[in-house]
Amino acid sequence: MRISHMARGVVTGVALAACTMAAGHHITPTVELVKQADMIRQTLIGAEHYFVRKVTIGREDLELIRSEVSFEPEDPEYLFFLGKDDSDQEVGVVLFPQSNTQHGPLEIGLTMGPDGRIEHAIATKATVETKPWVQKVVKAGLMEGFVGLRHGDDPARALERVSRDELGAMPYYYARVAVDAVKRGLALYDALYAGQSATDED
Amino acid sequence: MNDVASTTPTSDRGLYRLRDTNRSVRLAALLFMLLLGYAYVFAFLMVREFSGLSPGDVRDTYVPARVDEASLAQESHGVTQELDLEGLEGEKHRVDTMLLVQDSHIHILMFALVAALQSLIVLGLGWPGGFRDTVIFAAFASGGLDFSGQWLMKAGLGGFAWLTLAAGWLMVAVYVVVLGGTLRAVFPLLRSTQRREG
Repeated sequence: MRISHMARGVVTGVALAACTMAAGHHITPTVELVKQADMIRQTLIGAEHYFVRKVTIGREDLELIRSEVSFEPEDPEYLFFLGKDDSDQEVGVVLFPQSNTQHGPLEIGLTMGPDGRIEHAIATKATVETKPWVQKVVKAGLMEGFVGLRHGDDPARALERVSRDELGAMPYYYARVAVDAVKRGLALYDALYAGQSATDED
Repeated sequence: MNDVASTTPTSDRGLYRLRDTNRSVRLAALLFMLLLGYAYVFAFLMVREFSGLSPGDVRDTYVPARVDEASLAQESHGVTQELDLEGLEGEKHRVDTMLLVQDSHIHILMFALVAALQSLIVLGLGWPGGFRDTVIFAAFASGGLDFSGQWLMKAGLGGFAWLTLAAGWLMVAVYVVVLGGTLRAVFPLLRSTQRREG
């Protein structure tokens, strides 16, 4: 009798638990390595006020960007996060270019200084699978290799700081993915922000 | 004296009778089903976090956010607004085509293996052939339909979010039915109590 009640309890409990996965399609989760808000706050040094500039990409700029990098916008609106000091001077701008791979996206946060050079490069998003590879790349110093670069420079130069033999095949592959993301970021920054070709809406 | 079930031809009632197997076999079947349910709970939590549970959320996760380039203005235009960093939320998680290839090649295989193991249990539950085949078919179909829905959404057919959600429900239904059958086969007292109550 006791076993019977226990069995019914187990059936009910497990069935209820199973019902919670009613929408149980599989999905590969992303991992937030650094929150975007934290990167904006920590790398826009001296900023007292924050703004977001939403640029709706036009056909001319899209063509310009594609002449340099592969870019399929998922959203016509691209976001730049600005910081200004107390005297209303811009201290920098942050953007988050992303590269998609079969193992999930890799997002690199880039903080651009007023001189148009990268001041900070931080891996902000990976996936459960790719996180250890990305962390290995970060630890090897790849991100520091992007600092100081501006549009027109070759981000692949940063690969000189890492060794394929020491990193291993997959981390090195992700180092190259990071290079692609930075290259895309520099092209987007130049076309949509630095030149301020985007006219302001009223 | 043999009861009716034990004299029924094996082809009608399955390959074996789980209730009459070695205790270790029954234990393995039960623990497999319980552990599968445990895993499903975490599957739910992951889906709720990264995709959402409504057809709209699922659609937004898979349907490619294509930009209609013909509708773009010739020149870019922008607007600058004040930003509250506390309210800055991460972007909606999206599964792009490359990631879906990765998901599919691993998880369709995994679904097939789970369906095969559930089918092995179903074959020993003494169910009538038609019902048994329906449950086995549903066990395999749910995983296939789940990813069919995802690929159809990836092809731009957002309405198929319902197919992926329905496949999830079907997977749950199969699980609950097989779990119930397994528990009845493993716990003899549950069977006798139910018969008395019936």
